[in-house]
This record gives sequence, structure tokens and C-alpha cells, in this order.
Amino acid sequence: MLVQFANWVQGELACSPALAKIVGILLAAVPLATVFALCFAFTTWLERKGLARIQNRIGPNRVGPFGLFQPIADGIKMITKEDIVPRSSDHFFHLIAPLLVLVSSMACLAFIPFGLGMTMSPIDTAVVFFFAILGMNTLAVFLAGWASRNKYSLLGGMRAVAQMVSYEIPLVLSAVTVVMMVGSLDTREIVGAQVVEGWATSENSGLRFLGQIAGWHVFTPWGFAGFIIFFIAALAETNRSPFDLPEAESEIIAGYVTEYSGFKFALFFLGEYIGAFAVLGLAITLFLGGWNGPNFQPWWSSDPHALLIPGFVWFFFKMFVLMAVLIWIRGTLPRLRVDQLMSFAWKFLLPLALVNVFVAGFLFHVAKEDRVWASVAAFVFLYLVAKGLSRMNQSDAPAPRKYHFAE
Amino acid sequence: MIGLEHFTILAALLFCIGLVGVLTRRNAIIVLIGIEIMLNAANLNFIAFWRYGENTEALSGPLFALFAIAVAAAEVAVGLALVIAVYRHYRSVDVDKLKSLKG
Amino acid sequence: MTIAFYVFASVALLGAILAVQVTNLVRAVFGLLLFFGALAGLFLLLMAEFLAAVQILVYVGAVGILMLFAIMLTQRVTGDDRRGGGSRGGFWGFLLAIATFCFVLLPVLRDAHLHEQSATGASLTTKLLGERLMDPYALTLEVTALLLTAALLGAIVVAKGTSEDGEGEENE
Repeated sequence: MLVQFANWVQGELACSPALAKIVGILLAAVPLATVFALCFAFTTWLERKGLARIQNRIGPNRVGPFGLFQPIADGIKMITKEDIVPRSSDHFFHLIAPLLVLVSSMACLAFIPFGLGMTMSPIDTAVVFFFAILGMNTLAVFLAGWASRNKYSLLGGMRAVAQMVSYEIPLVLSAVTVVMMVGSLDTREIVGAQVVEGWATSENSGLRFLGQIAGWHVFTPWGFAGFIIFFIAALAETNRSPFDLPEAESEIIAGYVTEYSGFKFALFFLGEYIGAFAVLGLAITLFLGGWNGPNFQPWWSSDPHALLIPGFVWFFFKMFVLMAVLIWIRGTLPRLRVDQLMSFAWKFLLPLALVNVFVAGFLFHVAKEDRVWASVAAFVFLYLVAKGLSRMNQSDAPAPRKYHFAE
Repeated sequence: MIGLEHFTILAALLFCIGLVGVLTRRNAIIVLIGIEIMLNAANLNFIAFWRYGENTEALSGPLFALFAIAVAAAEVAVGLALVIAVYRHYRSVDVDKLKSLKG
Repeated sequence: MTIAFYVFASVALLGAILAVQVTNLVRAVFGLLLFFGALAGLFLLLMAEFLAAVQILVYVGAVGILMLFAIMLTQRVTGDDRRGGGSRGGFWGFLLAIATFCFVLLPVLRDAHLHEQSATGASLTTKLLGERLMDPYALTLEVTALLLTAALLGAIVVAKGTSEDGEGEENE
């Protein structure tokens, strides 16, 4: 619908190419910014409600039905609050850091295909660009911690850099398996590869229904392991619990956001959630079939390619399911220690991701008739590797703590 | 219209800024920064000459730049490790103070 | 293209000048990052989009963070570098740099061919780049991989030192 509107506007403006270009950019960027700001507002409500349910509370319930207008009230509160800048801080960088977080997260969204023809920046190196721009988040967080001139902020910033650099490697390696198997860095082609061609175009509506799901990479052994690695690393990369050490309230009083208040804090908050959306969006694109989902041919249409549920509905549905999982994890898991965090990344996720790359390479060359057996074998092998790695890491765990006075 | 000479002049300017950094600053980290700027200026030239050259199919310019980036990353890692080792020994990263070989 | 070129070029020059002239080391690194970013923009203008991505990934993402770590390990946290007085031999350095500039540029300005060359329409496709890396440059690729491994190990060994307090250098 939106795509058709954009195409129609482009057609109308064909007489002046420069204007058409600017309008085209705006048409791509404005819906993205609006939709994700709304998603952010909804997610904050979902998160507060969900956490409240997990902790046996009610959660926000005063503003609007079910407290649904709580994000608006929060927004007004954030904007009208005083903006406090510490006197000794680096004023310029103190201002730039939250903007940089938001800009880099937003820019990541440009490479995610939300639906057919709904990629803002359709380039054939999208995956590399995504990770390149995601890396800028790390810098922005460090900058915020450094510019605040506060030891807690600096500690938070340093923790963030160490954590993000460590977890970026398993994140990229698990994406590499997908890139390797599909043979393209283009997010649209990766989504396209997750449809079972013969089934999706068949006459049988049941097969067509299955063809939209059966090809998802998460159902292959390398995709399954890759998705789990990617998801865990994405949690760490976006500083979500249980990897929220950089902004641990109880240890370093909110880390790099300690000295931020009012609107700048709101920008950090927004940037962080948009970053989470972007990484989850990439996870959906790489492993969960992108905009594909079980679909029917609408009864009023005779076109076999027409779909009852538009692709972007599936995409956002998957995104909110994953977001709910994030909230669930946040509500149930305790925070890791710094040494656990590091050894988990380097001694467990990284070797597993490397083994996964080799498994994917092996499966790539298996003949078609042996593929089922090879897949089963690969599942078992990956499970054994994960089991072995966790066994190896257990051996250097510290001895159980002795309590001297608290018996 | 932007021609090849614009890119060459820009690259030469950037190279010389890097050179100034290497020659005039005392801090070893700034010296490394200067070297990085010079390397990147050279990369810009590689890409520009590839783009404006004749045989674009061979991709020699981007490939050379790619390898240069890889080597530069290795160089930075080793260089900064050396800076840290030197700092541990002398408690300073001032390149003028490292003269125990001077006799 | 013209406007974009001048914007990126001036940002690159500004970033480079900041990087070598600012006394605060952390600010110098951020100047350097500005320079890297602008250079990635110039690569985009030259249709080398894969290289632009690699430039951001390697330089902004890895090298910049490495430098910040080195500053944090060797300098005071604020990153000020006033103790050493900053620079030395400024005059001769500038003179030599200007001389190099003229020396580098003289052939360019005299060579009339450069003005006539026009950009070829070809774009750098990632697929072609990958094929080239595998076909004529496979050995170079392997040697680069070996070099990176050696540099990684070397950096860890050098930075770790003999004392107890050393932890391994962060690496990409």
C-alpha cells in the first residue's frame, strides 16, 4: 500500500528528478521513524506491564485504558524535565553521544526488509553495512561515559566497550553462516532464500502454506545453533538484561547514563530500544524468514501470488514476539558477573560459532539425498559440542563460596 | 564535475596532514594516528585511480585498498601493544624520551 | 556528486587536522574517527560501497576502540596531553610537510591526462570482488590471514609483558 503510494508519487514527480529524489528519501525515512517511535512507545508499556506481571504487580494502570497512554505521559515528563549537564563534563561530546546512539540505531533499520519492496536502502552489501553501523553504537556509549567525567559513567562506558566488542564476534560469525549458505549479503535475497520454491508456487494451498515456513533457516541445524548464538549475542550487544552490566543500577548507578537527564536520557532510552529492534529485525531476516509467514490466497482474488496477510504484518508480529521474549528474559534471569560475561563470550559462544561455520560448510556440500541424515547428524554434533564446551568451562568455575558468618 | 585531480589533491593534502602529525607530535599515539591518516590517504588514491582508470574489471585498486586496510589493522594492533609495553617500561609515551639506545 | 564531494572532503580535512593538532588525546581520536567516516563517504561516492562498509567496520569499529583502550591504559582518564608540551620542531615539520605536498602534487598538476579522464560507469559488485579474491589473489588472502594471526598473537605477547598486572590487548 505504502509502496504503491510511494511509486505513484515518484511517477507524478518524474518531471523534476531532484525533487523526486528528496521526496523519495522522505517517503522512505519518515514512516520508518514514525513507526518505530510508536513501536518504542508500545514496547515500553509492554515491558512495564510484563515485568509487573512477572513480579506479581499490576503495573501502569492510571493513564488511559490499561495504562496504554503511559508512554505519552512519560514522554511529556522527559521533555519538561531540566537538562542537567555536569560542570566539569565535556559539553560538546556530552551532547553528541545520545544523538549518536539514536542515529546509528536508526541507520541500522535502513537495511532491514520489512516487506516485499519495503527496504529503505536496498544495497547488495546490506549485512556488512548493518554490522559496521551497529559498531558505532559502542563508540557512542563509550563517548557518553567518558564525556560525563564521572567514575561510574566511565566504568560503565569501559564495560560497554569490552562487552560489545566481545559479543560482536559471535554475532557476526553466526550471521556469516547464513551469508555463506545463501551466497549473498543482500538482506532481500536472504529473505527470498527462505521460501521453499516448489512448495510456495504449487497449486495445493496447504503446501503453499507450509512453503512459507519450512524454508526458514532456524529449522536447519546451522540455522538453529546460529539463531541461538545470534540471539544471546544480540542481548549483550544491545545491553539488555542479563547482560546489562554497563548500566547496572545496583553496581555502578546506571553506568554511562548516570549524568544524563531529561531529554538526553530519553534519547538514550529511545536509541537503545531502536537498536534492539534493529538487531531483532536482522535476526528475523537472517533466521526467521523475514516477512514470510503462513499465508492464504484471499478468497476475492484470483491472483495466485496475492496474500491475505501482508508481509510487514508478519514481520512486526515476529518482532514483538521476540521483544516479549526479551522482556521475559529480563524478568527472570539475574545479571551476570563481569568475568562470567567475558568467559561466556570467548570460551563458549565463539568456539560454538566457529564450529557452526564448519558444520554449515559441511552441509553445503552434502548431496541432496543424504541431506536429512546429515542434518540429524549435524544437530547431534552441535549439541555435543555445546555440551562439551559447557563441561570444559565448568571445570574452571570457582569453588563454592564458604560462608563464615552467615551459617 | 569532480575529476580525478580533485581526489588526488585531497589525498595529497590528507597525506601531508598525517605527515605533520608524525613529524611534530611527541605522543606516540598521535604518531600512530598520523600514520593511519597517511595510509588512508593512499587508499583514497587507489580507489580514485581505479574508478577513473580504464581496466575497472580487474578491481586492482579496491583489492589493494582492502589488503592495505587489513595490514593497517594489524599494524595498529601491534603498534598500540608496543606503546603499552613502552609505557610500562618508561611510564611515558613521549617518543623523545625513548633514547636509551643513544649511548 | 559535487556538493557531496566538497562536504566529505572538508569533513575529512577537518577531522585529520583535529586528529593531529588537538592536545586532548580522546578528542584527537574522535577527530580521526570523523576523518575515517568522511573517507567512507568518499568511497561511496567512488562506487566502492563494500570498501566503505569495511572502512567503517575496521577503522571506526575496531581501530578507534583499540586507540581509546590504549589511551585509557597509558594516559590520565581525561586524555589530556599537556605534560609533554605537545609538539616539537614544529617549524621544520611543517616545512617538510609542505615540501612533500608540493613534491607529491607537482606531477599531478603537470600531467594533463588527469583532467581528461572521466569516471567509468562500472560499479564494484561484491560478488566480483569475492571472485577476484579467490582467483588471482588467493595467495595474498592467505598471507594476509597469516599476518593478521601473527599480529594478534604478537600484540598479545608484547602487551602482556612479563609482569603479573598485564591483561591481553583487545583485538578485533
